[in-house]
Parts: sequence; structure tokens; C-alpha cells
Amino acid sequence: MEKQSKPNTPEQTPVIELRHVDKHYGQLHVLKDINLSVKKGEVVVIIGPSGSGKSTLCRTINRMETINSGEILIDGTAIPQEGKELARLRAQVGMVFQSFNLFAHKTILDNVTLGPTDVLHVPKKEAREEAIKLLKRVGVDTQAAKLPAQLSGGQQQRVAIARSLAMHPKAILFDEPTSALDPEMIGEVLDVMTELAKEGMTMVVVTHEMNFARRVADRVIFMDGGAIIEENTPEEFFTHPNTQRAQDFLNSIKNH
Amino acid sequence: MGVTELLSQYGDKYIQALFTTWKLTALAFAIAFVIGVLVTVMRVSPLKPLRVVGDIYVHIFRNIPGASLLIILVYALPYLNVVWSYFTCVLIAVSLIPAAFCSEYLMAGINTIDIGQIEAARSIGMTFTQVISKVVIPQALRASVLPLTNLLVATMLTTALASQVPLNPRDLTGLVAHINTHAVGGITAFVISAALYCATAVVIGQIGNRIDRKVRILR
Repeated sequence: MEKQSKPNTPEQTPVIELRHVDKHYGQLHVLKDINLSVKKGEVVVIIGPSGSGKSTLCRTINRMETINSGEILIDGTAIPQEGKELARLRAQVGMVFQSFNLFAHKTILDNVTLGPTDVLHVPKKEAREEAIKLLKRVGVDTQAAKLPAQLSGGQQQRVAIARSLAMHPKAILFDEPTSALDPEMIGEVLDVMTELAKEGMTMVVVTHEMNFARRVADRVIFMDGGAIIEENTPEEFFTHPNTQRAQDFLNSIKNH
Repeated sequence: MGVTELLSQYGDKYIQALFTTWKLTALAFAIAFVIGVLVTVMRVSPLKPLRVVGDIYVHIFRNIPGASLLIILVYALPYLNVVWSYFTCVLIAVSLIPAAFCSEYLMAGINTIDIGQIEAARSIGMTFTQVISKVVIPQALRASVLPLTNLLVATMLTTALASQVPLNPRDLTGLVAHINTHAVGGITAFVISAALYCATAVVIGQIGNRIDRKVRILR
């Protein structure tokens, strides 16, 4: 009775929802019946051994990877197969990559303004002003006129985050954002991400940074062999996980 | 005849011929560049028929001798009631072939772009056309300045094909043929033309290097 009385308000529509998602690479079953729902403002961290499918899962959400069956919904809308509709939907979901992927021929400022001016048709001046604000927020505003190759990895990744933010996305996907960074630069990127999480950004983060997962995640997803093995709160997951495989994984990390 | 004698007698004609060669080169390169970019966009498009057409274009025009193409245009097309001026025939022949090479150089340039940048462009909602025009082609061009400089020189040298048809005014090579049928210019007549080709090529090379230094992408 109570369930039925709840109206279908936008707050209750998950920002990201995956239903029975399957993906095969030929014989290899890389995603097995994935069901995942991310609410507005939630930070979901996906962890698991390499080859477990966590990056692939992250990349299916904005269709960087296609799926064989199942459904992916962004804010209640099924993600289109291709073309302009797909592009429009991608504009609403930010993505931060392991290798930063800044546009090598554009300045830092232009990297951030390109999406707003060309995709959202924001006037140039307005886009510049906001880009400078965003660059300030991630602490690289003094580098605005430089080219990506002139920045450190940590700075480049922070620019990539600013580039995502400039699109005012409903959610941001982080695909191992610190895995390509020198150890001394990991902190500066995680700080920006922690800040974003505090401000209520909806985030899906694939990472090996267990401390970050523990501190920032609302929910931890543990994947192995292409399937979600466990879904838990960070406290529970890191202190006494429900599954043996998660326990084994955590032990293997501790032994390092 | 010596150089001075040749120049006093044919100096004006050499200047005229140099301009004809320059004109053919500039027009041909501009056309080749436009076709080259279009063919390249076709070759990287998600539509298979376009990719196939683009590849076929390159395979045909990269592998056909310029002289054969010119003969087809001048002597075969009239049978189909298509009659173009000699200048047009030469221009088309020396455009279509460099266009194939232009596309090859741009493809090589595209291969220097990390696929991640294309994914990043897609992830901010750019369409195929936007990804190509804002991210892929600008970087491919910057990476291809030196090969394209060489192509411009090669295009200029290819315009010597114009000597095979009665073009008026003549190009640098055509003029030599003309001089040698009217007088005994001998090898000297060739040397003057060669010097003019060389001088042009050196200038093109310098400009190309300068552009390359300016636009080259730091990685």
C-alpha cells in the first residue's frame, strides 16, 4: 500500500540504472547480468581485481562500450544506440579517463570550453568565464594558456575533471582516474574528487584507491569475473565483507 | 645557345612559364587538399560504403601513372562527348593523384592521435562531424605539415605533365620542349627550367618547415 502511494518524483528516479546488462567479447562473458542503480548525489565505488569487468562496466554507462543485452537508463531514459540522440545523452554524463585524454592541440582553457561552446551552444565569453572558475576550483587556473603536454599528470587529470564539470553533467564516471599518475600526484586528484562528492555530485568511480573508497563512497561494488559479487557500505565491506571472494581480494591487497 | 642568349631571347617566356607552373601547382594542390580531406573523412566514417569508396579512390589514383590519366582525359573522354580544355585536363590529372597521397598522409596523421581523445570528445557529447572537424582533422593536419610540404613539391613536379599537351602559355617543361623544336637550346634550356623548379621547391620547403615548427603538437 505504502509503495503504491509513492509518486514517481524525479528524486526517486535513479540517475543511472542498469538492468540485466550482459556483454560478451566473442567467447568471453565480460559482464554477467549486471544490475545497478545509482541515486542522485550518490558516490558508488567499483573495485575488484584486474580483468573483473569494472572498467568495462563503467564504460557501458555512456555507451563507450556496447552491450549485448539488458537496459541502461540515464535519468529514466534508455540510452540511445547511436547518432545525435546518443551524443545528446553523453553530454549529460561526464567521463574522466585513466589517461586524461585532453585535446593535445588545444590550450587548457579551450579544452574546458570546447564542450560548452560546441555542444551546449553557450556563448564564448560566458563559457570562458565559467571555464576559468572551474579551473580555479581544481587549482590549475594559472595554467589556462598552456597546452596539455606542458602540465603534470595530476594537473592534466584535474583539467579533465573541469572539462567534465563544464558540461553540468548529471553524473560523472571515473574510469581509474589515478592509475596513470605518479604517486605524489594521486592525492591532488583524489582531493578534487572528494570535494565533488561532498558537493553532492553523483559519481561512479572505478579505482584501486581503497582509502578513497572507504572515506568517500556511499556504496562499494565488488566485481569479479564480470559479475557483481557484493554490494555493501564501505564500513561493512572493508571490515567484514559478506563474501569469501571479497575477503580474499582484501587480503591480497593487505599482503602488499 | 648559352644561358645569356637563351634568357635574352626567351626570358619573357620563362617568366610566363614559371607563372603557369605556379598557377597549376597552386590550383592543383588546393583541389587535391580539399579532395584529400573529403576522402579521408569518408575513410574514417562509421558508414562502410563511404569507407569503401574512399579506399577505392586512393587505390586507383595512387597507382595510376599521371601520363596515363592525362591521356585518358585528353583522348578518351571526347568519345563520351566530354571535351575539356587542355588546361583543365592537366589540372584534373595533377589534382586527382596528389589527392590520393594527401589522404594517405592525413590517415597517417590521424593514426598519431590517441583514441582516448576521440573517446573524450564523444563523452562530452560531440557528434561524429564535430569529433572529426574539431579534434581529428586539426591534429591530423598539424601532424602532416611536412609530408604535405613534400606533396606540394611533388605536385609542382607533376605539373610537368603539361608539356605533353599544347598548353598556351606553356609550363616550364613545355617551354623547354618548345625551345628545342624551334632552336637548339640543348641541355641549357632544361637547366634554366630546373633551376626555377628548384628555387620554388626550396621556398616551399622553407615555408613548410616554418609552419611545422609553429603548429607541431607537443606530446
